[in-house]
Amino acid sequence: MATYIARRLIAMPLLLLGVITLAFLLSHFTNADPLTSIVGERQMHNETVVAAAKARWGLDQPLPKQYVIYVKNLLSGDFGTSFRTKQPVAQDLLKRLPATLELVIAAMLVGSITGITLGVVAANFRDRAADHFARLFALLGASIPVFWSGLILLYIFSVSLGWLPGPGRLDPRSEAPPFITGMNTIDALIAGDFAKFGDALAHLALPALALGWTVTGIVSRMVRGSMLDVLGQEYILAARAKGAGRLRVLLNHALRNAILPTLTILGFSFAYLITGAILTETIFSWPGIGSYAVEAARGLDQPAIIGVTIVGGAAFLLTNLVTDLAYLAVDPRVKLGSRKAA
Amino acid sequence: MTLHLPKLYGRTALALAAASALYSMPVAAQDQQPLIIARHLEINSLDPNRAFCDTCQIYLSSTYQGLVALDSDNKSIKPLLADSWEVNDDQTVFTFKLNPNAVFSDGSPVESKDVKWSYERLKNIKADPSFMMSLVKSIETPDPKTVVITMESPNSEFIGVLTAPYTGIINSDVASAAGAVSGPDAATSDTAEAWFQTHSAGSGPYVLKSYAPDDELRFVRNEKFWGAAPAINEVVIDETADAISQAQMLQSGAADIAMQIDPDTSKTISSPDVTIKTVPSYNFIYVMFSPGAEGNKAELTKEVRQALAYAIDYDGIIQFTVGGEGKPQASPIPNGFPGTTDLPMPVYDLEKAKSMLAEAGLADGFEVNATVAQLNVYGVDLVLLMQKLQQDLAKVNIKLNIQPVASAVWREQVTKPGVPFSARFYAPDYYGSAQYVQFFGMVPDSYWLTRAGQGKVDLLNQKETDLLSKAMAASDADRDGVYHEIALQMIEDRIIVPVVSPNLVLAYRNNIEGVRYSACCNLPLSELSRK
Repeated sequence: MATYIARRLIAMPLLLLGVITLAFLLSHFTNADPLTSIVGERQMHNETVVAAAKARWGLDQPLPKQYVIYVKNLLSGDFGTSFRTKQPVAQDLLKRLPATLELVIAAMLVGSITGITLGVVAANFRDRAADHFARLFALLGASIPVFWSGLILLYIFSVSLGWLPGPGRLDPRSEAPPFITGMNTIDALIAGDFAKFGDALAHLALPALALGWTVTGIVSRMVRGSMLDVLGQEYILAARAKGAGRLRVLLNHALRNAILPTLTILGFSFAYLITGAILTETIFSWPGIGSYAVEAARGLDQPAIIGVTIVGGAAFLLTNLVTDLAYLAVDPRVKLGSRKAA
Repeated sequence: MTLHLPKLYGRTALALAAASALYSMPVAAQDQQPLIIARHLEINSLDPNRAFCDTCQIYLSSTYQGLVALDSDNKSIKPLLADSWEVNDDQTVFTFKLNPNAVFSDGSPVESKDVKWSYERLKNIKADPSFMMSLVKSIETPDPKTVVITMESPNSEFIGVLTAPYTGIINSDVASAAGAVSGPDAATSDTAEAWFQTHSAGSGPYVLKSYAPDDELRFVRNEKFWGAAPAINEVVIDETADAISQAQMLQSGAADIAMQIDPDTSKTISSPDVTIKTVPSYNFIYVMFSPGAEGNKAELTKEVRQALAYAIDYDGIIQFTVGGEGKPQASPIPNGFPGTTDLPMPVYDLEKAKSMLAEAGLADGFEVNATVAQLNVYGVDLVLLMQKLQQDLAKVNIKLNIQPVASAVWREQVTKPGVPFSARFYAPDYYGSAQYVQFFGMVPDSYWLTRAGQGKVDLLNQKETDLLSKAMAASDADRDGVYHEIALQMIEDRIIVPVVSPNLVLAYRNNIEGVRYSACCNLPLSELSRK
């Protein structure tokens, strides 16, 4: 196991270097000059100012040299300075990543819990009303754009009913708890500030629902299909014949064996949501990686764009590793490193 | 590994229930409770000499102070850091006496050396607002409370310029220690911009408490403020990107003021706790022609531009873009500014447009590439506006090829190779007409003279140039008449054609007072209070 993990971890920097190279090249081959985001609109025709800006931001160097300098700086944790925020990109990312992680973890909880539940219920009540309801719910989750569902959720639960707060991570009248993990819910708990914890959780609810709903759809259909396969197996009949309760058979015998393909989906969903929470973060004014990426792209902020791409690439690589390890934990039939035929 | 799903579900439900019970709005004393403004931040910088944006105007006018300020009538000038000033007859030497009580937020006195340092840095750093000091020749400081500014040439607009928040006075000792430089090499050697993102160094009623890009901008009362203390202790501008979200926050009470509600969205607000007011603004949306841009398929002569201006349905545009909540505007100098009284309003006359095009040999029309930034400004979607113009111009056989692009791409393309036809917006930096002539006029060093293609075609308007020189040397009494003549020249140029001046929607909770539109500063935070 340790060798396997070590091998995967050693391969990661090489894969990341590929991601970095691609991101660097792509961001330099856009049809727009990043100088327009650095130099003021009125000064773009001023050659002195343009030259000074190029020198200041290293844009006067040939592209290969820029690339070498960038990779060398990366090795010391320097992702460059954002053209837009004027802060180190690494610092920007560290500030925003926890916000995205908090949202994605909450969305994954919502998506996996509701998805697995609906999948189990749908399989158990195949072709009955509950199955049809689950199918409809899944279909809506997978097909309604998150910017629309987000606005509708905001309108219903925040504006009309007033049950939950509107956009943002916290009531703007209060300040964030002391930074420990960067996730407001956890930091508030650590600080023992339960009012702030409640506020943070309440702000998290609607974006997590909107984003989690997209996961619900995929997971519930996957679980339903796997469950139907498993429920037809003889060992299920044997368990029932031995007198095991219906719920126990469903959850401990059928679901445990049907969950394996769903783990892959959950793994990919997690990585996808980290980089794909852009719309949700925009609608809910959630200052995470997604909104940072949008603003970086809009402002031709090359260092920030590359930084976000590296984080996204790393998220996919890590999630792949964790998913593979989860397979091992859930299914003892999966072996590592065995190249011999069974 | 054993999954205990029923237990997991139960615990999650318990945690959510507990959180719901714990969630409640924080309670604080009235003036201690932060005031929340919902707004799309879109800040390019918090460095007073590099910042150039609408939110920057709010920030800078709250944390820094200029020598003079624009009064609430949006026209008169009142003393601020300077308690008196004198101007020589030919408008070239300006002498200011500083208020002896003025202090920065660290308690140190505001002195003439700070004024000299701030203006020199603004000029030498060569950023967007640097043009405001372009005519300054020298600054003398005969004593700590006297500043003498000499111009290269007459500058009757200078006192007006000094009401712009970008001319705020910086604590030079503090900023220099942070890497700020004011000398001729400031554009290359100044390293203070990152510091300014987290610190303010002015004498305004507020200081910067924190700034989280794309999240919030937080001000707190300047405890050492030398003027009347603002009523609200803390103000937060909360990043809220779109008008719908702003309206929702306002109605739910999460925000006290929403700043970018468009007229359509304002009609959806039904809460009795919210006040909605629509007021005229000096902001406007214009279309522009660039005769020298690459890709022009016909020669955009003055006569052709004038013909196309007649083919624009101005009233229809105002209805289509802002639901009637706007006004037409005669010239690139906005209604109400010096020289704009009794200017001829734009006319929609299809027959005249057709006959003028026929005279130019273009009765069969031609194609025009229209590159436009994908922006919604002051409630006007520029791409939708372009689609309306496409319909209008089709009636005179002009085919508009609309090319929506990101704003940064637009900025690049308009500089080089130029865009034949486009739409854009403008908001004043201060009350004064010269800024419009210097930006839109066909005069030397004007932004649009270059971008309209001067050099490839001759667009320089010598009469306009001479009139601008005359206006810059004119006395208060004569200035309006000269700007009126300039405005007529700019109308005739038809490089810039204003299409709508949208009204501004002021939307705020009923218990908030002091919300108003400021031509220089958007929203003066220090005037806000709770009932």
